[in-house]
Amino acid sequence: MDVLLMNTLNGLSWGMLLFLIAVGLTTVFGVLGVLNFAHGSLFMLGAYLCMQSMQYFDNFWFGLIVGPLCVVVVGVLIEKFLLKKVYTRDVSYQLLLTFALLLILDDSVRMIWGGGYHIVEPPVIFSGVMNIAGHDYPVYRFFLIIIGPVIGGLLWSFFHFTRWGKIVRAASFDNIMAEGVGINVPRLYTMVFALGTWLAAMGGALAAPQQSLNPSMGDKIIIESFIVVVVGGMGSFPGAFVGALLIGLLESFGTMYAGRLQMAIPYILLAVVLLIRPNGLFRKGV
Amino acid sequence: MKRAVISSCIALSFVLMSLVGAHATSTVKIGFVYIMSGPFSTYGQFAKQGAELAIEEINAAGGINGSKVEGFFEDSTGKADVALRAIRKLVYQDKVDMLIGLDSSGVAKTVVPSIEQMKTPLIITHAATPDVTGSVCNKYTFRVSLNLAQNVKAAALLAKETGAKKWTTVGPDYSFGHQSWEYFEKYLKGLNPSATFLPKEEVAFPPFKTTDFSAYITKVMSSKPDGVFISLWGGNLIDFIRQASDMGFFKGDFEVLFSLGGATEVLSALGDKMPEGLWVGSRYWFLANDSALNKKFVADYFKKYAAYPSYNAHGSYSAVYSYKAAAEKAKSTDKMAIVNALEGLKIEVPTGVIEFRKEDHQAVTDGHWGKTSASPDYPHRILNPIKVFKGKDVTPAVSDTGCSM
Repeated sequence: MDVLLMNTLNGLSWGMLLFLIAVGLTTVFGVLGVLNFAHGSLFMLGAYLCMQSMQYFDNFWFGLIVGPLCVVVVGVLIEKFLLKKVYTRDVSYQLLLTFALLLILDDSVRMIWGGGYHIVEPPVIFSGVMNIAGHDYPVYRFFLIIIGPVIGGLLWSFFHFTRWGKIVRAASFDNIMAEGVGINVPRLYTMVFALGTWLAAMGGALAAPQQSLNPSMGDKIIIESFIVVVVGGMGSFPGAFVGALLIGLLESFGTMYAGRLQMAIPYILLAVVLLIRPNGLFRKGV
Repeated sequence: MKRAVISSCIALSFVLMSLVGAHATSTVKIGFVYIMSGPFSTYGQFAKQGAELAIEEINAAGGINGSKVEGFFEDSTGKADVALRAIRKLVYQDKVDMLIGLDSSGVAKTVVPSIEQMKTPLIITHAATPDVTGSVCNKYTFRVSLNLAQNVKAAALLAKETGAKKWTTVGPDYSFGHQSWEYFEKYLKGLNPSATFLPKEEVAFPPFKTTDFSAYITKVMSSKPDGVFISLWGGNLIDFIRQASDMGFFKGDFEVLFSLGGATEVLSALGDKMPEGLWVGSRYWFLANDSALNKKFVADYFKKYAAYPSYNAHGSYSAVYSYKAAAEKAKSTDKMAIVNALEGLKIEVPTGVIEFRKEDHQAVTDGHWGKTSASPDYPHRILNPIKVFKGKDVTPAVSDTGCSM
């Protein structure tokens, strides 16, 4: 019984991290139509800038706020000066460009912070362990399990109850029509890309206290995030949430009970979903 | 008059150029192939630093047989085809006299069979697969560093001492992790027939890209072992240790052995987050040997790079000096003469006196294990006490390596 509980917690905390990354990816795809390969690098940059600003302010919470905001600045520059030029081009240009960005960001981080490993301390109030059914369990993981739905809920309310949220949904539905009724679509794109960047960077900053920082940390997580996005439905917000939890829990229980098959689980899930519901579990639409 | 000046200038420049040319032919060229880019570039960086320190020292002391040494560094990127291309370039284009390097076991296993055609000696300094001095060994390939079999034999000796019976493992899900576990099982079974090992489905082999190890930690802990043998390394090891200590893994319910936990890059990244009292192994530990040579190496390295030498830095440093010793023994840098001189060569390197075994070209070198312990003199954990396993006790017999040349 306690093994089941432990695995559920493991799966949930990992799933929430995947959700934060996948939801940014899916929002950018849903509105801009760009599959952002560099999303993982923005995640990585979020972790590094969180570490850097944490050292500067000597406080995790400042790092968590300032770090991702710095990445947003980078994201806005990327959108304004690079991505903007390929929206109308073939999708292969977008893939090439974002892949180039991934390489540039990874190597820039390597040049600035070196290729070695860094670690970030969790904030003091979340640094201890809690006793769960006779086992130690890190408090920070509970924080992750809670922060995921909190950010998700805020995003959902933003998309459904605010004017800006409704505009974003309208533009993702039909951007030409949106422009026709007087919405400044280019500015909207910049804002949505900034939001996606912020979510990736936030994921990185939140991941930093439990995994080591390395320039390749983004590449490790991006494949699974893509799987989450496709399983949930490209561009679907609730899809990202369900997909992330599904992958997180399946991986954690798979590790326990599926033996060597565990590695294949995300891919099997992906194949099954694509066969049964080619559009993903949730229909497209923000 | 003017014409005479110009023509004499031209003549002089020809003379100078020929001098430069003559100078170039008298240098000894060593080609280095390491991972210089990507996630594992730190390993290449350390190796390059070790090699450059050795070359600098040798040149300051008059070179090898009176010739200056020049190093050529190529990036293997950790991929076999790239590494092979880099080696071909070094051999055929840069015309190096000697090859040193290789980090990845996978790369080494692919590259080694081609070394024979290039007729250029190679000293492997990091890649640990037993196969390159075993099933695919050849005349031109040597290894200066501790290999997987030697390191795991030391682990098995230690495991026997702990008295733990039921063993499991956490290792990276590729040949290194699987081979480490196979060797551990084989050696410990021989030393302690009552030891048992969990079957393959019940042990943990997290894929390399894993960053969240919690599910593996839960799995291993719930299998209630007496001992856990861990062959994770680099970033995986750092993530594992941090997450495992939060989940009560190191509370002392079972013995834990880390085959590569004594790596300086891991210890310095973890700082005081590395729990104390864990058994960790390393291919080289900078405080394990009190010899004058080791002290000088550590001090010079620290002075130059403001870091303690990692095992990869030690590997490349020792390989350059092994080459020097072989060239001096052969009184030549002819490639075949070097191969012959390296066979059976005994040399003191910082880790101790090593001998390149004639039959399989593996260096018989000591294995070092120790318990992690805090020290006011270092910013990270050090090994205390240190356990030294003599090279002859941990190196498998030639008949067991599967090598025939």
